[in-house]
Amino acid sequence: MNVRFLLVPILLPIVAGVLALLFRNRQGKACAWFCTAVTATQLAITASFFGQEWNLILPWGAFGWQFALKLTPFSNFILLAAAVFGFLICLYSAAFMNGKRFLNQYYGYFLFTLGLVNGAVLADNLIVLLFFWESLLLTLFGMIVIGHPGAFKTAVKACIISGVADLCLLVGIGMTIYLAGTMTISQIHLPVGGLNSVAFIFLMIGAMAKAGAMPFHSWIPDAAVDAPLPFMALLPGALDKLLGIYFLTRISLDIFVLTPLSWLSPLLMIIGSITILLAVMMALIQKDYKRLLSFHAISQVGYMILGIGTAVPVGIVGGLFHMINNVIYKSGLFLTGGAVEKQAGATDLAKLGGLGTRMPVTFLCFIILAASISGVPPFNGFFSKELVYDGALEAGRTWHVGWTFYAAALLGSFFTAASFLKLGHAAFLGKPNTDPAKVREAPMTMLIPMIIITALCILFGVWNALPLERLIQPILGEHRLEGHTFAGWPASMTLVILTVVVLVGAFLNHLWGAKRSGSGLGAADHIHYAPGLHPLYDRAERRLFDPYEIGLKITNGIARIAWGIDRGIDYLYDTAAVKITYALTNGIRKAHTGSLFAYLSWSLAGLILIIALILGGI
Amino acid sequence: MPALLILIPLLAILALNLPWKSLMNRLAFWVGLALCLVQTGLALQPQSRFWHSPSLWLGNLLLFEPSVDHLSLVMFLAIGIVGAVTLFVCRYSTACAGNRFMVINVLILALTGMNGVVLANDLFSLYVFLEITAVASYILIAFEKGRDAFEGAFKYLILSAVATVMILAALALLMLTAGDLSFAAIQAAIASSPHSRVVLAAIALLMVGLFIKGGLVPFHGWLPDAYSAAPAAASVLLAGIVTKTTGIYTLIRLVTSVIGYNDTLQTLLLFVGAASMLIGALAALGQSDFKRMLAYSSISQVGYMVLGLGAGTVLGMVGAIFHLFNHAIFKSLLFVNAAAVEQQSGTRDMNRMGGLAEKMPVTGWTSVVAFLSTAGIPPLAGFWSKLIIIVALWEAGYTTYAALAVLASLLTLAYFLSMQRRVFFGKLAAGFESLKEGNLWILVPACVLALITIGIGVGIPWLFETFMLPIRSLL
Amino acid sequence: MTSPLLFVALLMLLLLAGVWTVMTLNLLKSAIGLAITSVLLTLLLFLLDAPLAGVFELSVCAGLITVVFISAISLTKPLTGPEASERDRSRVKRFFFLPILIAGAAWVLYALGLRLDSPLPPAIAEMDVRQVLWNVRRLDLVGQILIILAGVFGVVILFKDRSDKKEAPKS
Repeated sequence: MNVRFLLVPILLPIVAGVLALLFRNRQGKACAWFCTAVTATQLAITASFFGQEWNLILPWGAFGWQFALKLTPFSNFILLAAAVFGFLICLYSAAFMNGKRFLNQYYGYFLFTLGLVNGAVLADNLIVLLFFWESLLLTLFGMIVIGHPGAFKTAVKACIISGVADLCLLVGIGMTIYLAGTMTISQIHLPVGGLNSVAFIFLMIGAMAKAGAMPFHSWIPDAAVDAPLPFMALLPGALDKLLGIYFLTRISLDIFVLTPLSWLSPLLMIIGSITILLAVMMALIQKDYKRLLSFHAISQVGYMILGIGTAVPVGIVGGLFHMINNVIYKSGLFLTGGAVEKQAGATDLAKLGGLGTRMPVTFLCFIILAASISGVPPFNGFFSKELVYDGALEAGRTWHVGWTFYAAALLGSFFTAASFLKLGHAAFLGKPNTDPAKVREAPMTMLIPMIIITALCILFGVWNALPLERLIQPILGEHRLEGHTFAGWPASMTLVILTVVVLVGAFLNHLWGAKRSGSGLGAADHIHYAPGLHPLYDRAERRLFDPYEIGLKITNGIARIAWGIDRGIDYLYDTAAVKITYALTNGIRKAHTGSLFAYLSWSLAGLILIIALILGGI
Repeated sequence: MPALLILIPLLAILALNLPWKSLMNRLAFWVGLALCLVQTGLALQPQSRFWHSPSLWLGNLLLFEPSVDHLSLVMFLAIGIVGAVTLFVCRYSTACAGNRFMVINVLILALTGMNGVVLANDLFSLYVFLEITAVASYILIAFEKGRDAFEGAFKYLILSAVATVMILAALALLMLTAGDLSFAAIQAAIASSPHSRVVLAAIALLMVGLFIKGGLVPFHGWLPDAYSAAPAAASVLLAGIVTKTTGIYTLIRLVTSVIGYNDTLQTLLLFVGAASMLIGALAALGQSDFKRMLAYSSISQVGYMVLGLGAGTVLGMVGAIFHLFNHAIFKSLLFVNAAAVEQQSGTRDMNRMGGLAEKMPVTGWTSVVAFLSTAGIPPLAGFWSKLIIIVALWEAGYTTYAALAVLASLLTLAYFLSMQRRVFFGKLAAGFESLKEGNLWILVPACVLALITIGIGVGIPWLFETFMLPIRSLL
Repeated sequence: MTSPLLFVALLMLLLLAGVWTVMTLNLLKSAIGLAITSVLLTLLLFLLDAPLAGVFELSVCAGLITVVFISAISLTKPLTGPEASERDRSRVKRFFFLPILIAGAAWVLYALGLRLDSPLPPAIAEMDVRQVLWNVRRLDLVGQILIILAGVFGVVILFKDRSDKKEAPKS
């Protein structure tokens, strides 16, 4: 195949997206099928790339910039994953979005997003990468805004947060180009330390913000409520994770050479651990299906960052494995949420209940997906988490903090399990709150993607050698692995036993909590209203800890100061300057009396001065 | 045969004063217009044989073979255009009606004088032609015979006489040193003894004389009275070209090809230029008489030119000359508009006017073009010349002066906006309900000048290559 | 060789006559003052070996200036008594700065220490004035003609229509 085929995964969705925008709103169904066909083609094409390594360089713009694309096993893997989830979510949208407004825009942005993500992943030039990366802001904005009329504020919030992070990325890219002397990504290999570390941190902020790590997370829970649900499954659930973690891995593995002994490694791990814990604690107390899931979307990023941050092979492999696993079960979970929303008409847990019997397939999918995310063997989440634990312990030994990071990750696991037990209990078990006659199982086009995703969860768990040996380990390359393979049952039995103990603990905790409060919904109340935690939760729910809100407050303060300064400057210009000018003008007017002798005197005085200047000055 | 630019108008005047009175009365305007247009046409063709071939039998009469460079051509062009416009205004203005024939004769004399100033390559000839221009100007200012007109003319006369005395004294001193008054001889003399006190005193006197002629602060006292008291046609000619030729062109010519730059001279030029620019602009802000405001604005704009000259670089000089030309166009346009407003409304007091654009749309809008150009708003002509001057100042290291030039530009915008608002925009003032637009004699020159201003602004790249850059050969 | 004292005396007289010409309120006296000034100047020119310039000065003054003054006198009416005394008072006030400035200019000139006693280059000193005018300075001669033309036009325009009620120029 021709190398120029590399342009297809970028151009196909973008061109198709433009076409999708041309559809009329009442042709929504046709538009949906058109897009599903496009994503299916896309999937076929990216699958056909498998195993290739291509380099495409086209001249682009001025200054000798090159439009360079590069297909590596890693980018191929991300490309493929994006295509798979793009296809599945598009298929799902055909039923879910049916009858909603702005369908042509939704599918247009959907395809644009796919094309731009593919572009960013394939880019082998930092400027090209930045171009695609920043363009994603547009589709992000559009996607949220079409959710419902009030979504504008959330869209602005998402754009500002992402914009700030992208600004950091821009600075980082600028520094990297300056430090490396080239824009071609595959030629950059900088050691960390000194100015390089600063550049790394800027790039890292951009990557982590894309993945949704704290403190750049706060738009996600808001978007979960406002944006169309498949968007949540697509962007924060799948593509953002793929892209963010892809780039984080790239900058840690080859753009910069992050070593376990660099201080950047614990920095990453600390951010990871904090993200895991805080987000999952927030998830635990949520009373809305989609909002709860969205906090997990943040929390799970923590595991990936923790894994990659260890900078040891087992951690990195674990982080990447966790990335693909998370994409699978998180998008799957969002899809079940969508099914519940569509069929029961609500996502507020207080209004749900007893759906298990009405929607058995959805419920079954939910159970398996929730087990995966909680790390229950033998589903995929269990294996990737074990690898991350291994890495965390190894890195902990290097930095003489023992099992701290491991403990944080394990604690996160406990709360993850607890919150999903609560979610499942409240939504699918218990007493039905809605009229049961109305609630039916979701249509086939929604069920098929869910079933496929659920099957993937089982497949990647039971046969974890498939993703690990075929997809992930090649990314690190043989020289890093030194012959190890991470497929198969976890190496350390102790860790497995500890994990199982924690899971059982979470189950018991749930049973106790549910009994104490009398319902599945209140199963986490004893943690929510625990003496030390309650005030903190209260403030968090009022968004007092939201960096965006804090930023807004600071900005408002600055704005007020700037306003004051502005008034002062206004006074200078509008009042003081005018007064001075008119004072001068009046003085000059008074001097011009019209008297010829005054004018003569001026001239003579001028003559004397000029003679004095010219004869004295030289 | 550039000497014909002096000889032919002289012969034209003599011919016009031949006996057939009624025929000549009718012919005078067309003869004057033909002279101006031919001059304009010739100036637009720098390669024409007219400029470079030796004089034939008629031209030999003067024993004068001047060489012509691009600076001269720009001046001839401006003189031709403004002269033609003045003739039109004269035709339009009722003030001229009684003695139009005589006024046109004097006008042609003034144009001849200015041509002579531009052609002169000898200080004494320069002095003689300055005097011709000055005498013609006194008559033009005074011919309406009002009290104000006499006062303005008298002030101009007295201060010009002071300038004349100074220039003559300088000539005497230079004659003593050089033995000859041709530019080349004086340049050689100055170059050979740059620190001679006699030479320096002569330079100082010469400078002051030219500053008075150009109306620079603090030698500008005559200018507002003369401009505002002069009849419409005379004020167009005076503001548009007379003071610029007699004051600024001579300054540029003498500084570049006779005296040469030095630090003290540059300091002097910069200081006087900046003072004129700022004081002129500030004074203009406080005027309520339309023409008086334009007069102060002229002082301010002349300050820009001297400032550009004071930068001492090729770019600064190009800017100064370019601004001189632009100023000739847009200031003439403003005075043409002022003439139209004065004649149609019967007043020059801006406080009594308002909303005139409603009744006089062409006048109102051409005045917008002119004042935007004066204030230096892109892409009009004035923007480019001011920009060149400011850039030249900046590059020459005079950043403070560059900043002052920008500041003065703001002031320019301020007083012109206030003018535009008080005269042309806003609600129609009481008493002007039956106001009419002027006739074609005034509208045609206004539109032509506005089009030139716009055309120069838009066509700047071409103009810069063909007309402005060749000026650099001066230095 | 005439003594420098004679020059100084003549110059002082010239200055006095000039000031009187300007300051007097009576136009007739003013005209006489100008005539005296002109005679003194002619005398000076003769003493300085420039007879041709002297003759020019005398003839121009006698001819042209007389015409102008006679026109001016016929166009104006004399001031009344109170008007004259009012003007007398304001005049002194207005001229207050003039002596100071002239003294300042004189001091500057003195401080310059200009040495003007260098002899003229022989080429100029030996040239005949008539020859210079016709052969070297023909352009300037034409220029003079133009000035005279302008003057004639001026007189024609400004003094035409004597019935006009406009006043003479305010000084």
